[in-house]
Amino acid sequence: MEKKPKTKMISVFVMGKEHKVPQGLTIMKAMEHAGYRFLRGAGCRAGFCGACGTVYRLKGDYKLHFDLACQTAAEDGMALTQLPFVPANKATYHVRLIKKEGNPILKYYPEVARCVSCNTCTKACPQELEVMDYVQAALKNDIEKAATLSFDCIQCGMCALRCPAEIVQYHVGQLVRRVHGKFVNKSKQLNKRVNEVNKGKFDTDINELMTLKHAKIKDKYSDRDIEALH
Amino acid sequence: MNLAYYPGCTLKNQGLGFETSALAAAQALDIEMKELDRWNCCGTVFSLADEDLMHYLAPMRNFVRVQEEGFDKVVTLCSMCYNTMKRTEQIVKDDPEKLKTINEFMYREEDYRGEVKLFHLLELFRDEIGYEEIKKRVIRPLRGLKVAPYYGCMLTRPKEIGIDDWEEPRIMEDLLSAIDAEVVKDPLRGECCGAYHTVNAKELVTERTRMIVSSAKKRGADCIMLSCPLCEFNLDLRQRDTAKEYTDFVGIPVVYFTQLLALALGLTEDVCRFDLHYIDPYPVLVEKNIIEEGEEVHGKKA
Amino acid sequence: MEFINGYPEYMRASIEKVARTRQSRVGKSFTAMTLDERKELLSKFHPDYNVKGKRSVEVGTNKGEIIINEVADLLEARPLIAKDSVDLSQIDYDVDVLVIGGGGAGTVAALWANNSGIAIDKILVTTKLRLGDSNSMMAQGGIQAADRPEDSPARHYLDTYGGGHFANKPELVERLVKEAPFIIKWHESRGVLYDRDENGDFLELSGGGTSRNRLHAAKDYTGMEILRCIRDVARNRKIPVLEFTSAVELLTDGERVTGAVLYNMETEQYYVVRAKSVVLATGGFGRLHVQNYPTTNHYGATGDGLVLAYHAGAKLRDMDTAQYHPTGAAFPEQLVGLLITEKVRGLGAQPLNIDGETFVFPLEPRDVEAASFIRECYDRKKGIETPTGMQGIWLDSPLIEIIHGEGAIEKNLGAMHRMFQRFGIDMRKDPVLVFPTLHYQNGGVEIDRDAKTSLEGLFAGGEVEGGVHGKNRLMGNSLLDYNVFGRAAGISAAEYAKKAKKGKLTLHHVAKYNDSLDKAHVEPGLKAPILLPEYRGKEALSRALEIDKVVGE
Repeated sequence: MEKKPKTKMISVFVMGKEHKVPQGLTIMKAMEHAGYRFLRGAGCRAGFCGACGTVYRLKGDYKLHFDLACQTAAEDGMALTQLPFVPANKATYHVRLIKKEGNPILKYYPEVARCVSCNTCTKACPQELEVMDYVQAALKNDIEKAATLSFDCIQCGMCALRCPAEIVQYHVGQLVRRVHGKFVNKSKQLNKRVNEVNKGKFDTDINELMTLKHAKIKDKYSDRDIEALH
Repeated sequence: MNLAYYPGCTLKNQGLGFETSALAAAQALDIEMKELDRWNCCGTVFSLADEDLMHYLAPMRNFVRVQEEGFDKVVTLCSMCYNTMKRTEQIVKDDPEKLKTINEFMYREEDYRGEVKLFHLLELFRDEIGYEEIKKRVIRPLRGLKVAPYYGCMLTRPKEIGIDDWEEPRIMEDLLSAIDAEVVKDPLRGECCGAYHTVNAKELVTERTRMIVSSAKKRGADCIMLSCPLCEFNLDLRQRDTAKEYTDFVGIPVVYFTQLLALALGLTEDVCRFDLHYIDPYPVLVEKNIIEEGEEVHGKKA
Repeated sequence: MEFINGYPEYMRASIEKVARTRQSRVGKSFTAMTLDERKELLSKFHPDYNVKGKRSVEVGTNKGEIIINEVADLLEARPLIAKDSVDLSQIDYDVDVLVIGGGGAGTVAALWANNSGIAIDKILVTTKLRLGDSNSMMAQGGIQAADRPEDSPARHYLDTYGGGHFANKPELVERLVKEAPFIIKWHESRGVLYDRDENGDFLELSGGGTSRNRLHAAKDYTGMEILRCIRDVARNRKIPVLEFTSAVELLTDGERVTGAVLYNMETEQYYVVRAKSVVLATGGFGRLHVQNYPTTNHYGATGDGLVLAYHAGAKLRDMDTAQYHPTGAAFPEQLVGLLITEKVRGLGAQPLNIDGETFVFPLEPRDVEAASFIRECYDRKKGIETPTGMQGIWLDSPLIEIIHGEGAIEKNLGAMHRMFQRFGIDMRKDPVLVFPTLHYQNGGVEIDRDAKTSLEGLFAGGEVEGGVHGKNRLMGNSLLDYNVFGRAAGISAAEYAKKAKKGKLTLHHVAKYNDSLDKAHVEPGLKAPILLPEYRGKEALSRALEIDKVVGE
């Protein structure tokens, strides 16, 4: 092992204020190192919850970039701010009552029809989803495609903040996925099993296990055949 | 003949029969239309007075898709899509600066080289297949059917992008002659149907529908033929509202050119999806002996 | 330091050994450990068996029982508010059912309280962060339900009970396994998109300790897909939610739980809630960093619910164990502790040592698997050292594409692939480095099969409760737990509320608790619940100034 080199310090500008932080931290950890204690702007800290949407600009660049503070390394000269909240409209609906015909998405989110295909939403997505493509799929009532393309959405809302047509892409995605879920082929064996449980088919087996002596149930456990070993 | 096909959103929603009949008819005429894997809304017609380049993004992006898939020709059916995309094709050809600006905005896409040529399906029939050839392929002549072609605004205006003469078009008339239908010439064939006013000024569209439909009927038309799903919606469905307001109003069916062509080429009615129309075209088609009574299509008897 | 495809140069020699042995390991058969082998391994190497890691708690219902140090610290800490520091005569919210916690269990409980006849405006959900912010959102691998013909709920029972070292509460396991298929059906009806084959049947994999393939997954976003869908249902119903508002103490009338004191973390005001019944759904304790382990857990996982319930006199159980997920990321530094789902092993990736050798059946129960990694690194000295001095084991992810074909990683493990890709590591080509990470609170507030705690009027669901998993939880049973017992808590709280009268609101139990702390001579210092972990840098903290106190006192 080589000797641990001294950590290099870099400058990050949090909402305009300069802080010196060690290189190699995520934006989130860099801000904490500098003394920020999060209430908003931190959630799962692992890229799943969309709480830490961050806008940043790199040194010498004019472009604004969009990413998650917990999943992006801080860089020297980075200027950034977090987005604490997205006050976007979410439609109210009952998926049970939604039909596939006649474009249900446009009924709840008519602004989808205003998409000019500028692709700004796609550029803002920290998950690198083809956001514009799923909005367009929703527009032409291709529910399955819209659901598939939007599946990895963590609902940070940065698409909606950037959209010049005021579309709420991430809520549209939620609706299309639920509508798609309503119409996919359903599992027959699941229904069968639910009925069997309701009729008490497994009660005797489970009761037996629940009343077995400790040593007996240990043996039973050790003797199980394990599918994954085959 | 092999080229890319751009459907547009309406053809995947209300205008289903337009697409199915067009694809079947094109196939019968040996035109291979490959739907683009990725495409977005055409952008829908924007103002002629407006220079906002933002509006050109949607159509341009579709041209990029055509280019990505290795085509240099693309065909579309909807008059709106045709108009929007043709104007874009034109403007970036005429003005390299604009092409550059839009390309820079779309920096994540490959640059559009400005080489894709857009056709309306009617143009393909006229120029690539030829009406003489179509005439030869007719299996079921539409003899005795009196049809009033309707162009609306989008196919011929502005004149720089029109598929035919903007005052005296004949592209639809000639097609009708080729399939042996009788042309009813209606002076209102180039009037606007009222377009999107149908959303917030229904009464305006109802009035225009009355005017246009009555004019065709007065001249003896059995049906109106057109090429735009929005015109179809207005002239067909709005007849219901017209009839409410004018008790003596009697309507006639409204069909797409591809539907009549499909019938003439001997294709079965199910590619036409007449069930999606408000005014059922069956009775008149049966009356004129074009369709046999009792053929079962989409669960209903003609 | 030179980096090649995301890894420092010195790690490359070991990565090459892994690559060289890869083909010969395809289809390799393993033997699972016997119970005796497991026992020996665990007692020597699992953090739970480290006697220095736990101690006897000095106060409260579980006085004298052995509890993890970090939890005992919280239980022996002073309450945040004193008896007279809040005015309980002014009620801000008067409801039938108060749900504390807005993660999976809380959201499910609120929905089922509503389904059981409690009006929307008589329900209140309060949550420390946002609705949905929770470990439930982060679960990747799947949810168990024995719905295949070759499987049965009884088998699921045996797997769960044995995996928990036969310490689970049988009636809870029974309800868990029997309701599992129903829960999947409920999700299905709400539009949750589980992975399926073309017939509509589920694509099910094995997890550690399961004897049948019964994990239902939605790519590697299973928790997110379920919860965002359930949350959408709650939002459509307009269930009232107070976000960034945590509960800091329960209220009781001496006999039963009658409400809670909430704290708006942004405006720093308190609210008094009177409720006929209360559901505790505050989640787990990963952010306590037991034995200094990194954690996979959510920012808010600070064990607040344990403290609240304990102050009011509820009984806890199985607080002597914690779950260390065998595969937390060990490299790069930015990702340390983050979860590498068990599904990676379910799909065929094998754990390997520095020489590219296998040393354990990849699908042992989590504690056994984790202990074997620790042994490999610290006893056999065959771990891989990271630039920051951490130890790690290779998880040979490229095997997945050899077994399941090209594209399998992007399709099934998109989240993880994305996570490593951001740091220049391509898990389709190179293995990823892992080490156990603090993952789950096995025990908690004891409940019965109706999710009732030992306190009248208090119900609990999800990670905060104890008894379902015994001393070790199986993969895919936590998503199931929050659904089954979140639902049970919601239904029971609703039924209780329908019969209960509104109670008196007091903090007498807090005064009593303070007395017992005095009697036990516990040093005043820490205050609990702690609400959020402290991650500010040492230098920043050393200069921290609490202006409030300077001005106010």
